[in-house]
Amino acid sequence: MQSLVHVCLAGLSNGMFIWLVASGLTLIFGVLGVLNFAHGSFYMLGAYCCFTVLSHLGAGYWAGLLLGPLAVCAAGYVVERFFLRHVYRIALPYQLLLTFAFVLIFDNLVKIVWGGGALSPPQLTFLGGSIPILGRKYPVYNLFIIAMGPAVALGLHLLLERTWYGKIIRAASSDREMSSAIGVRVPTLFTGVFVFGTWLGALGGGLAVPYVGLLTPGMGETIIIEAFIVAVIGGLGSLKGAFVGALVIGVMSAFGTRFFPTFDMFLIFILMAGVLLVRPQGLFGATR
Amino acid sequence: MGKKRLSRRQFLKLAGGSSLAVAAGGIGGALASPKWVWGATPAVKGPIKVGYQAILSGTLAGYGEFHKMGVQMAVEEINARGGIAGQKVDMEFRDSTTKPDEAIKNARYFVDSWGADFLGGIDSSGQALALAPIMSQLDRVLMVTHAATEKLTEDFVYKQGVRQIFRICMPTYNDGHAAAFLAKDFPAVKWSTVSPKYEYGFTCWKMFQDTLKKVKPGVEFVAESWAPFGTTDFRSHINTIMDAKPDGLYSTEWAGELISFVKQAKEAGLFEKVKYVMLPVGAAMDVLEGLGKDMPDNIWISARYRFQKRWNHYPAYVSETGYSTLYAFKAAVEKAGSKDTKAVIAALEGMEMSSPAGRRLFRKEDHQAIYDVPWGKTKTDPKYPFKVMGEMKIIPAKEYFNRPPFEGPGTSPPFK
Repeated sequence: MQSLVHVCLAGLSNGMFIWLVASGLTLIFGVLGVLNFAHGSFYMLGAYCCFTVLSHLGAGYWAGLLLGPLAVCAAGYVVERFFLRHVYRIALPYQLLLTFAFVLIFDNLVKIVWGGGALSPPQLTFLGGSIPILGRKYPVYNLFIIAMGPAVALGLHLLLERTWYGKIIRAASSDREMSSAIGVRVPTLFTGVFVFGTWLGALGGGLAVPYVGLLTPGMGETIIIEAFIVAVIGGLGSLKGAFVGALVIGVMSAFGTRFFPTFDMFLIFILMAGVLLVRPQGLFGATR
Repeated sequence: MGKKRLSRRQFLKLAGGSSLAVAAGGIGGALASPKWVWGATPAVKGPIKVGYQAILSGTLAGYGEFHKMGVQMAVEEINARGGIAGQKVDMEFRDSTTKPDEAIKNARYFVDSWGADFLGGIDSSGQALALAPIMSQLDRVLMVTHAATEKLTEDFVYKQGVRQIFRICMPTYNDGHAAAFLAKDFPAVKWSTVSPKYEYGFTCWKMFQDTLKKVKPGVEFVAESWAPFGTTDFRSHINTIMDAKPDGLYSTEWAGELISFVKQAKEAGLFEKVKYVMLPVGAAMDVLEGLGKDMPDNIWISARYRFQKRWNHYPAYVSETGYSTLYAFKAAVEKAGSKDTKAVIAALEGMEMSSPAGRRLFRKEDHQAIYDVPWGKTKTDPKYPFKVMGEMKIIPAKEYFNRPPFEGPGTSPPFK
């Protein structure tokens, strides 16, 4: 029992953590139609900026979590406004190449600014300790991550379904020309959505600082693969799909590692292959 | 960045006596450079070109920087004092990444295009094993400074006779056999592991098990959990261990992944439940400094390398191996009176050298450097921002290094 509950908790926290990163990726794909490889770099930059605020400005982790991702939004703005905007109309491979170029640029930028070595953040004070759950310690911060996942999901849902901005975003994503014809400034809207997606990725990075406990120049590359798997399983562009996909992947890999250690990676790829064979559009993807 | 990371200049400054000469050489320029020495011995044609590769990108990029600190310092010291056999040393440093084909590409570039006389570096065991089969074709001495798999020296050098390969760093014997020698004196009976899911992790755990079974019959191995390269979330692995309720945990996780693992294990209360924890790679400077006060007390770690008075700072393991590599080349070339690969191999075989890590002997049969490294138990010392080793133990290398012919009885410890 103790074991099962803790495996579930590990799966939930990991799943919600992947969801936080996948949400921005999915939002950007759903609205702009761009598969943004550089999303992992925004995650990494979010973590590094958060670290800088907390360790050098001495402002503490929570200020870092607030300010760090905001700083990364500037990078997101530059990438969309001055680069991506020019490739929307040409073939998809060019968009992929462009965003991949940014992965390399940001990786090296991080090495130049913060150095190549791993950075290890100090322990948290607020939400820092562990509490016993069924006789085994569990970090309070991971409960916070588990709560953050649904909170972000709810926030995104309300934003897209209940607000005027959400309506415009949905309109522009389903028909660019028509929205433009009725007076929506689509380019500005796209910049706004891209920057918001960037912020979500960077927020994931900021949350990773205590969760992973380590910052390295390649940290974005591991997470972006998981986020892509989640997005594909859930259906590219579907936020609901990404949420469910992240939960499934998180819990499944935790159970895999604990109970089927020989196949743990294998399980996830089998699931992905299965979903692609039965429902190529993903669990919640729209049929085109 | 920050206070912890040293720039090369600081590293040089802190590194004590000898580097003062380097600094002077750098500032004084032409004044200090003894040009007349170069060219005085025409037996060896210069410059001596060393192609060095280590990981400079991705999550382990810090390791490449540590290598570079040591190697560059040695090159500057040697050149300031007249070079190798009177010839200037020329070094080029390339990013090896972690991919085997990248290591091969670099080595081919160094030898075929750049004209390297010597090769050095290599962090990953997988890369070392990929490079080994082409070394006789490249025909340059390769000094491995970090990759630890014993198969490199046992299978390729000894059994297949690839004489171009040497290793100056510790092989897996220290992480496997020596750890078992230490573990036999603990009351722990049930052992477990969380280790990297690749060659290095597998081979160390096997050595640890084999030797521990021999020296302490009755031990049990109750759980193993393998973490793939790039693991950031160790919580499921930690659950596996805690469910098995072992007395001891042995882990060859290293670098950043070890930092994440120790932090997450501490949060889960693992160190309160499992009394005997051994981290063979736990005393790497990046880990000790990275964890700082988060490293629990009473963990057994291996230093791989003694901190000496001469160093005012605490150099990383690979800085020292890189540094000593250049001095090994210098000694061998000067002994052979030639930089010809065959002559240098002959000079290196059985050569003894003193280095910051103590006396090293390159064993003739398998080209493995033999030297002693201590193990110790972590403890808090208010003088340091990180945990230091108390209660040090040194098991002499000759008692636990596998012996040629590496097959059959009497070739692996314990030796009678």
